[in-house]
Amino acid sequence: MATFNAVIGSLFGLAVLPFRAMNPWLAMIVISVLTGLLMLAVFRWTSNQEGIHRAKEAIKAHLLELRLYKDSMAQQMRSQGRILAANGRYILHALRPMLVMIVPVMLILIQLNLWFGSRPLAPGETAILKVKLAAGRSPLASDISVDAPAGIIVETLPLRIEEEREIDWRLRAAAPGVYDLTLKAGSDSFTKSVRVGGSLLAPISNVRPGPSFLDQVFNPGEKPLPRALAVESVEVDHPERRLPLLGLRLHWLIAYFALSIVFGFALKGVFKVEI
Amino acid sequence: MNRRDFIKAGAGAATLLALGPRADAVMRTAGRKATPRKVLILGFDGMDPKMTARWMSEGKLPAFKRLAAQGGFSPLGTSIPPQSPVAWSNFIAGTNPGGHGIFDFIHRDPKTYFPTFSASATEGSTKTIRLGNIVFPIKSGSVRNLRQGKAFWQVLEEHDVPATVFKIPANYPPVDSRQRTFSGMGTPDIVGTYGTLNYYTTESKLVNEDIGGATVHQVYVIGNRVDAKLPGPINSFKPDRPAAEIDFKIYLDPSNAVARISIQGQDFLLREKEWSGWKRVSFPLIPTQSVGGICMFYLKEIHPEVKLYVSPINVDPARPALPVSTPTSYGEDLEKKFGPFFTKGLPADTSALENDILNEEEFLQQDGFVLEESRTMLDYELGRFEAGLLFYYISSTDQRQHMFWRLFDEKHPAYDPALAKAFGGTIESTYRQADEILDRALGRIDKDTIVLVMSDHGFNPYYRSFNLNTWLRANGYLKLQNEFKEEDLDWAFAGTNWMKTRAYGVGLNGLYINEKGRESEGIVTTGPDKDNLVREIARKLEEFRDPKTGEKVLARAYVAKDVYTGAYVSSAPDIILGFNRGYRISFKSPLGRVPKDILEDNKAKWSGDHMGAAEIMPGIVLANRPVAAERPALYDVTATIMDVFDIEKPKEMIGSSLFKKGEPG
Ligand SMILES: [Zn+2]
Repeated sequence: MATFNAVIGSLFGLAVLPFRAMNPWLAMIVISVLTGLLMLAVFRWTSNQEGIHRAKEAIKAHLLELRLYKDSMAQQMRSQGRILAANGRYILHALRPMLVMIVPVMLILIQLNLWFGSRPLAPGETAILKVKLAAGRSPLASDISVDAPAGIIVETLPLRIEEEREIDWRLRAAAPGVYDLTLKAGSDSFTKSVRVGGSLLAPISNVRPGPSFLDQVFNPGEKPLPRALAVESVEVDHPERRLPLLGLRLHWLIAYFALSIVFGFALKGVFKVEI
Repeated sequence: MNRRDFIKAGAGAATLLALGPRADAVMRTAGRKATPRKVLILGFDGMDPKMTARWMSEGKLPAFKRLAAQGGFSPLGTSIPPQSPVAWSNFIAGTNPGGHGIFDFIHRDPKTYFPTFSASATEGSTKTIRLGNIVFPIKSGSVRNLRQGKAFWQVLEEHDVPATVFKIPANYPPVDSRQRTFSGMGTPDIVGTYGTLNYYTTESKLVNEDIGGATVHQVYVIGNRVDAKLPGPINSFKPDRPAAEIDFKIYLDPSNAVARISIQGQDFLLREKEWSGWKRVSFPLIPTQSVGGICMFYLKEIHPEVKLYVSPINVDPARPALPVSTPTSYGEDLEKKFGPFFTKGLPADTSALENDILNEEEFLQQDGFVLEESRTMLDYELGRFEAGLLFYYISSTDQRQHMFWRLFDEKHPAYDPALAKAFGGTIESTYRQADEILDRALGRIDKDTIVLVMSDHGFNPYYRSFNLNTWLRANGYLKLQNEFKEEDLDWAFAGTNWMKTRAYGVGLNGLYINEKGRESEGIVTTGPDKDNLVREIARKLEEFRDPKTGEKVLARAYVAKDVYTGAYVSSAPDIILGFNRGYRISFKSPLGRVPKDILEDNKAKWSGDHMGAAEIMPGIVLANRPVAAERPALYDVTATIMDVFDIEKPKEMIGSSLFKKGEPG
């Protein structure tokens, strides 16, 4: 999974690279266009284009019947039944591309979340560092400690929460930079990335996952922790990022779906795809 | 009904929550007439002329001294009585209380004898419809500012002079205006009170119900966790109108002095004795309606006891649940610039200090946030002050004199030598902070700007409490149903025999005759009967001496008809008490209680006050132009504004300019 994440991550990074110093909307638009094209292609190759065409024509024809035979109740009923049937056929034809696309779309969303979900901490802001231990481990028996680089201040003693198998510290960002916190557990140590300041668009990883496969799928920003550490995850929640638009502050997911739909429809004619 | 219910009834917020955004949300602020004049007014609540003069001469207030040398410094005649809402209303309307109708913090309803808040009235939605378990208002409720007369910035607006008026007292809800105004003293928290803190503790703890403003929650640590509830506004969508609540958790480390508070998806860590800064909370009422607010947490102790203070929940300026600014966007813009900020009328939590929930140091930390925030926002307003008038208000001078007088005055019954060592200099250092604020402001304005510094009243010690209703009873003017009852009456005259009562006291300075035709059970006839009675009581009050000290308790007992003019004189109390130095009304008498003793030592931390006779309680005025007026008063400052902007004074305004004719600029 780690290798897979690394490959997808670099592909994404490559797409965003030229726009990192610009308005984040630009990168968002480029990704929407690229993924829009990808989806059109998938749709074209995996759907029954002929079948979709026929279903849509049928719907049009029966809609016309509805207008023509307004006075015949029986004909109205028949036409409506046929529209329903054609709709059903349309959905069936579109089902296969949907199924094919579900996985790539998920991966794209996970990457987008990595790039657009959070912003770096501003100097002076605080965040909680959370270490979640593996099942069966008690934070009271743990000797995990934090070594912060210059630029990050650890402001509290560890807060050990037995019922959550969790140890928390409060961090304060002091100076801009990309940092690795070092956490020591006995002779072992591991790191967690923290980003402070900077205007470049960059992937921001909130959670470094442990050995769990699903956790790794959803948190591709950092390498998973080795099983031997008995740590389920280590987390620094960076603040949520919003995309500013005419006084609104949009969540990236809304921006992305709106843009993909716009580009999908704009480009379907160009590539002669029946949607 | 106890005091807390009264306070809630007075300013209930929940009835307003169905109000949509106000119509003025998109309105522009007032026009920018090309006026060459700029007037900056700094209002420091409660700065006293004697102390100011003394510390000026000792070189401790260099900016005040500079300003005084440049123009003038004079005591400023205050209102009768010198309470802040009354005094600032004199300035706002340019009248005495007869012209604006605010005579006291507390008025009364002559139909029920019930105390009411004088500043604003909240009317709940009268028409509702009930669907299942939810009550929907058909017409939304409203809140009204009860101050009468035109505010000076409304007059300026009519003449196209722009004004920004920041947190002036007695302006909640802010009166209609296209000027930028933000409401001040009198603005409730979102629970609808003048400030109710929440305190969570594993100890058992009582609070003084006569002071109010605090809710104590007894909590338990189970498995290093505390489960608690933060109470919010009344949920008027529910038939039984329960208070809305938010659950939250405190996770404690078993030995380290650190805890995590988890509330509505927000987690934050606090060490012992740390403040959280502002946190947003949102109280759900029904699925489509919620009320947002802001509050700060202070973790006083983690081990061995848990003690968590949560400030009164202020209206969130970003999403105001109650009207706090004109235009609405003014508050929202300030929030965008500075983040959440104090919006409750008097932000300092005097109730927390009075009830030993915050100690002196902690109280000053929080009031330090208030002062720091004021400084920053004043800087911002000065930075964009291009024309017209800017009024800016500072509350800390008043609040700290109230709470710290006992520690710089050895004669005070609550003087504590140990605390005096640490905090005896608080009032002086607060005056110095005021001086720093003035100094910064003077450094940022051009030489043509007219600068006025003013306070609404001075300050006196508060050594002894006077129970007016007990005095009236002792002198045969107020009768109880049970003549032999010795202990306190319950609240609001319960047990008063109105058929035999001729006079009663409500509010901090007010005395009313039980007048036939006005009071529901009045017995004194209007005309000579009443007039003679008023004169008789006023004379006896002025003669009354404290048996312990031999001093007069009242310097003056003003007869309303003699001292007030204007359209609203008839709603004034009949006699207004002007206390002598060292005396004040008790905490119990203003809401209609009749305690046993007429006079008591004041052992409260609320130890300085300003309920005295106006003659002994003036405020201050300083200007960077010569002050020609002999004995200027608050309404003369209003007249000065009109003079400076060449606006003919509206006929209701009674003052005259501080400056000599023709030389304000
Ligand atoms: Zn005061």
